[in-house]
Amino acid sequence: MKAAVFHGPGQPLTIEQVDIDEPKEREVVVRTVASGVCHSDLHFVDGLYMWPTPAVLGHEAAGVVEKVGSQVSYLKPGDHVIACLSVFCGYCEDCMSGHPNLCSNKAATQRGASDKPRLSQKGKMVNQFADLSGYAEKMLLHENALVKIADDVPLDRAALIGCGVMTGVGAALNTAKVAPGSTVAVFGAGGVGLAIIQGARIAGARMIIAVDKFPAKLDLAKKLGATHAVDASKGDAVDQIRELTGGGVEYSFEAIGLKVAAEQAYQSLTAGGIATIVGMVPLGQKVDVDGFSLLFEKRIQGCFMGSNRFRIDMPRIIELYQQGRLDLDDMITRRGKLEDVNEAFRAMKAGEVARTVLMFE
Amino acid sequence: MKAAVFHGPKMPLSIEDVELDKPQDREVLIKTVASGVCHSDLHFVDGFYPYPAPAVLGHEAAGIIEEVGKQVTYVKPGDHVICCLSVFCGYCEQCMSGHPNRCSNKAATQRNPADKPRISQKGKPVFQFLDISSYCEKMLLHENAVVKIREDFPLDRAALIGCGVTTGVGAVLNTAKIEPGSTVAVFGAGGVGLAAIQGARIAGARKIIAIDMFEGKLAMAKRLGATDTVDASSSDPVDEIRKLTGGGVDYSFEAIGLKKVAEQAFNALKAGGTATVIGMIPVGQKVELDGYMFLTERKLQGSNMGSNRFRIDMPKYIDFYLQGRLNLDDMISRRGKLEDVNDAFRAMKAGEVARTVLMFN
Repeated sequence: MKAAVFHGPGQPLTIEQVDIDEPKEREVVVRTVASGVCHSDLHFVDGLYMWPTPAVLGHEAAGVVEKVGSQVSYLKPGDHVIACLSVFCGYCEDCMSGHPNLCSNKAATQRGASDKPRLSQKGKMVNQFADLSGYAEKMLLHENALVKIADDVPLDRAALIGCGVMTGVGAALNTAKVAPGSTVAVFGAGGVGLAIIQGARIAGARMIIAVDKFPAKLDLAKKLGATHAVDASKGDAVDQIRELTGGGVEYSFEAIGLKVAAEQAYQSLTAGGIATIVGMVPLGQKVDVDGFSLLFEKRIQGCFMGSNRFRIDMPRIIELYQQGRLDLDDMITRRGKLEDVNEAFRAMKAGEVARTVLMFE
Repeated sequence: MKAAVFHGPKMPLSIEDVELDKPQDREVLIKTVASGVCHSDLHFVDGFYPYPAPAVLGHEAAGIIEEVGKQVTYVKPGDHVICCLSVFCGYCEQCMSGHPNRCSNKAATQRNPADKPRISQKGKPVFQFLDISSYCEKMLLHENAVVKIREDFPLDRAALIGCGVTTGVGAVLNTAKIEPGSTVAVFGAGGVGLAAIQGARIAGARKIIAIDMFEGKLAMAKRLGATDTVDASSSDPVDEIRKLTGGGVDYSFEAIGLKKVAEQAFNALKAGGTATVIGMIPVGQKVELDGYMFLTERKLQGSNMGSNRFRIDMPKYIDFYLQGRLNLDDMISRRGKLEDVNDAFRAMKAGEVARTVLMFN
């Protein structure tokens, strides 16, 4: 099958033939229908995070189950599914305490190092990315990396839910638990930031301030629920937020992965406020928090994949979409083919798109 | 009347005569019976936090009401009270949302700069410290800075509840809201740290790790509820905590006020864990957090005075003491007179004492 292969940081992905094994036990083969191009992939391509090579990237996908292993009970061929990198064992302490996104026993869902690899090229192992590898015509996954969805949900929009939408909506609803009537600032109006803005709107925030440097992204943010927009290229974002709110917001979100934006998110808080870091701050970088300000009971907290319990959350997100309360249509800026993946990265860096979705035949 | 007066950083307090005004409107005049010597006073004497001089320091006290202003309804002469620096207006947004410790309208409880000052010397104003100034034979406060307590409760132990105990126990019960069965690390086994350890014991933590550089303080920590101790003078506390817990704690507390220790408290967490900074980190210092650690949903939050609603919390702590569940007797290392305040600071710096309490006749 065709896949986009990563050979090391700073190099474009190349389209190559990759072999995929048969599903064992609790594994499932999924025919990929749509795969979103998410910023986190770019972090690895840019070398800000490490991943062994060669690897097939991509981790935001939806498709149709083709074949299941002998012990799979949750799915059958023909089922429509969303894949999620928060594969969970279901029995570790984190899974059992309601945090399957922090599963500490993922090895239980993976093949052993001595087993035949899931992906290979001419007999040599190709690394699976985030237990998914969505930039490929097919995916071989543990069944606990999948949620079944209704057949009438469009799979391109379903793909978005697989990572960016889950991460953003979940950061607002699960991690920060935004309260009705509260004030919110979102740094970064890309795919994840727009999902946070929509999550804040769904939760009933009264003021939702979008912060970005691209006017077009701020316009889209307003369309999706932001009540105010702050152009960070025109003056200090923290000052502008303080002015709009009369002192600071109750909730702020960092949705870019920049040290400076994380610090600004914290600085924008009112007393007792919570800053949630959703973006991936590059390895080795420190986020500085003013010690004195902690006396005002401010909090800075991490968020991983929207603190999801994805088999619970994703069907809810689909319902919100079907009710017209969550706009996914406008979040897909472009559609492309697998071959367009490098161009999608370029467009993302240039701030041209919220999301490109790669469509498979 | 006699008071210990602060004339600027790095100078010993001097015992001098000061005058207190009559109580106006909602003010009360209190005969000070006991005043604890708390680390926060030392921060100002050492110059880590600025305060205008001359001022009467001291903010952890209990006493007996002597006189009340004409609009006071909550207390009457003869009532026993604990003072708390978390004086609250009762009607700002913070007060009305259950966070009177973050009252944003304290001016409503203070005298105007144009009014006669509460404390003076030969007609010149002396600054009141944190709306209390308890290193003094009497205190003139707003009634919303006191809680009435039962008359059979010893006032030296009541004084401790006024700041250190409420701060430590409250950080655990109110700010962090730890769960029964959780794992806890407390950095610093001084007055506040020992109170946090007891709070963790009361809340049912299964592992309570005390970290300090003084053996005597670690022994006291064990006596008050720590299940394990780490001597930070001879080992890396983060490594030791990881070893003891198999990966990190659910909750950590910084009870000293050191940047480096706040960072250790964050690094000692397991995925999803919460670090609560109680200590006052010197003004201008930054706590540096590894950006990628937010991907495992770690949290860092400040706590101010144990997130107290002190009129609700302090009577609870008194009940805990009377039931034998909160040990205050062992937390008073020494008793002294007002004149001993500078020696109490010295003994605190030397790690000789959890608390000195100054007793007034």
